[in-house]
Amino acid sequence: MVGSLGGYDMQFDFFTWFGGLWDWIYGILLWFWAIIKWLGIWILDIIDGIWILASIPENFMFLFRAIIMPGLIFLLLALIFTIWFTRKIWARIQDRRGPTHLGKYGGYQLFADAIKLMGKEIIIPDKAKAWLYRILPSLLLVIVLIPFAFIPWDPYWNIMGPPGAAYGDLSVSLVLVFALLTAVPVFSLLIGWVTGSKYSLIGGFRAANNQFAAEIPMVISSVGPAMLAGSLSLFSIVAAQTSIWYIVLLPINFATFMVASIASVGTFPFDAPVADSEIIFGWRTELSGIYFTVIYFAEFAEQMLYSALMVSLFLGGFNGLPFLPGIVNFIIKWLVVYFIFTVVTSSFYRLRQDQIVHLCWKYLIPLSILNVVLVMFAMAYLPWLVPLVVGG
Amino acid sequence: MSPDILDESCVIWFGPQHVSAHGWAAKLTLVGDYIVECDPNAGYFHRSAEKCLEFRNFRQGSMILERICMMEAFLGEYPYIAAVEKIADLEVPERAKIMRTIMMEFNRIHSYQFWFGQFAGELGLFAMLLWPWVDREYSLDAFEQLTGSRHTVSYATPGGVKYDFTPKFLSKMDIALSRCRNRMPLFDDMLAGSPTFRLRAEGVGQYTAKQALKWGLSGPNIKACGIPMDLRKDDPDPNLAYDMIDWEVPTIHNEDHPGECDAFDRLHQRFKEIETSLDIIEKLLPLLPEGPIIDPKARGKANRLPEGEGYGRVEGARGITTVWLKTMEKAQTPWRAKIRGPCFASYYSLKHIVPGARFADFPAIFGSLDPYPGWWDR
Repeated sequence: MVGSLGGYDMQFDFFTWFGGLWDWIYGILLWFWAIIKWLGIWILDIIDGIWILASIPENFMFLFRAIIMPGLIFLLLALIFTIWFTRKIWARIQDRRGPTHLGKYGGYQLFADAIKLMGKEIIIPDKAKAWLYRILPSLLLVIVLIPFAFIPWDPYWNIMGPPGAAYGDLSVSLVLVFALLTAVPVFSLLIGWVTGSKYSLIGGFRAANNQFAAEIPMVISSVGPAMLAGSLSLFSIVAAQTSIWYIVLLPINFATFMVASIASVGTFPFDAPVADSEIIFGWRTELSGIYFTVIYFAEFAEQMLYSALMVSLFLGGFNGLPFLPGIVNFIIKWLVVYFIFTVVTSSFYRLRQDQIVHLCWKYLIPLSILNVVLVMFAMAYLPWLVPLVVGG
Repeated sequence: MSPDILDESCVIWFGPQHVSAHGWAAKLTLVGDYIVECDPNAGYFHRSAEKCLEFRNFRQGSMILERICMMEAFLGEYPYIAAVEKIADLEVPERAKIMRTIMMEFNRIHSYQFWFGQFAGELGLFAMLLWPWVDREYSLDAFEQLTGSRHTVSYATPGGVKYDFTPKFLSKMDIALSRCRNRMPLFDDMLAGSPTFRLRAEGVGQYTAKQALKWGLSGPNIKACGIPMDLRKDDPDPNLAYDMIDWEVPTIHNEDHPGECDAFDRLHQRFKEIETSLDIIEKLLPLLPEGPIIDPKARGKANRLPEGEGYGRVEGARGITTVWLKTMEKAQTPWRAKIRGPCFASYYSLKHIVPGARFADFPAIFGSLDPYPGWWDR
């Protein structure tokens, strides 16, 4: 045979080919097995590494604190209690009874509501950006939960620990908390923007407007405690309040901080972003099912966070009755502040957006500056006050 | 407005699925936060009440009327009864006249109690939404005691009323009215005394008396401008007891803007209306004579009416409510019925009041005008 192969007779031997097929399949299987084995070893190595890191006592305790107490699990339980507490207070003020049926005094109502909400169909509007719609609510919750790491619950048993410890509090934790909280209305605005409804877009801009109005008085109000304690670390501010709680020297700043924080959360007197008689449910209008649940939790977590910040900045944090553990002192004050917070939120008519800005800029900023300046003069002219204020 | 402003405008539908626009839809054109154009739309609540009336006899017809606006059910059903009585030329006993009037004022109080809650809820205070509604429950209990029905009382019938006042009803009415009277200072404090409420309601949705007359507003919306226009005084129905006693038409005269009213004045007007109604009931109760509550021959006379036209009108809680009936000879049903509700005027006046307001003030404006969609769609 003569052909283009140069006289070389090309013949396809089927049986030889078939015999080699097994080798070929076996090779592929080996190759896959190698990949699986490599992946398994890699994951085991990571677990190993984590275990090695976690088995160091400081690290293990940090993980325990961050996940269980006073970390995620504790916060979840506190959140469940807080929502029940809020609903009960609102109901009592509104001449109702609130949840009564599920559990003792309606304590399990939240579980029923959460299960109901999660069981609902998730309707993503055509005009919405679907992946942003899905991811933004959870990011919002994460952003709200991170600042809890810096709350000094107890002299020793914190997530971040005292400043000298292995995972000590940052020297600028107050600034970091405000930085994280500033991101919250950005998420509100984004959710309002991507969910593809005019109502939610207007609500998103109103949320941004609220933060725009409330942030400056809030930061100025927190300048007072930071200045008195000489530190921007939340733990150091609390530790400096062993002799005097700063609310004694900064009562106006406490009030302005509370009003500004309510405005920043965007709950009742300042609920223009979610005003139901104007823009249905504001930036939350199009959220449904689990996404709405997450947003709902984030709102209450933010209220809890602001109450905890008020306790740490003005009410002496873990300082209090000496025979009680620090965290118990903290939680008692936290409940009191949260109660006041909730009563304020259910006693006023909704303010318009321009009125919110007027209130925050015309009244809250001068008042908060006034209190800071007064305390500066007190420090300068009353020298016996200084050792009381810096603690010890 | 110049066209380049409208380039940046955004059209938003306020209704019909909106939570605070139940049964109506207004198309709003927004520029920034301001409303430049408001286009109220009717037709989302149509239940063809006028046609239904043509298939009901003269004792059943009033039950269609009271379903138009549940809050002022008795005030809504009475014009029909009045029209039937005019065609059939029925005499109403003295006792029934006074009982009708008492019930009418009681229903008016109930309607305003509902409205306070609704208005406060639209302005964002949920506590004030529920507090007047608790008082309202006592009024509803009294209605239930008298007629067996909480809202749709069907109390009047051609020639008199259906049920006599019982001691139990009188005590329940006394509880409801004294509770209303005692809680009025509290509500005054919660609404007019609240700084945040004044911020939201003062200077919002202003119009002058001249405009109100031009748009055909009536009831509290025009009395708030200082015009004492009240059918109870101007044209007292012969079968009601308003001319038996002395009372004053409540009006508002605001020193800051005489001859004008804003949302806050309209709220204040409704407070005064409640006080007037309490006053009227208090003066009428001792006048209640013994006697029959219905003319025994009326029942037969209302079965078949002679040919004629009847026009009944009453000062409702939201304004002048009228029913016109045309009957043929030996008619069992009206040949044609026409209902004129008070709220068409207040709803379409939004078109003139709203432009220039902020979007957040829109609930305050329509809430203070108190439009109820049943009255314009029927």
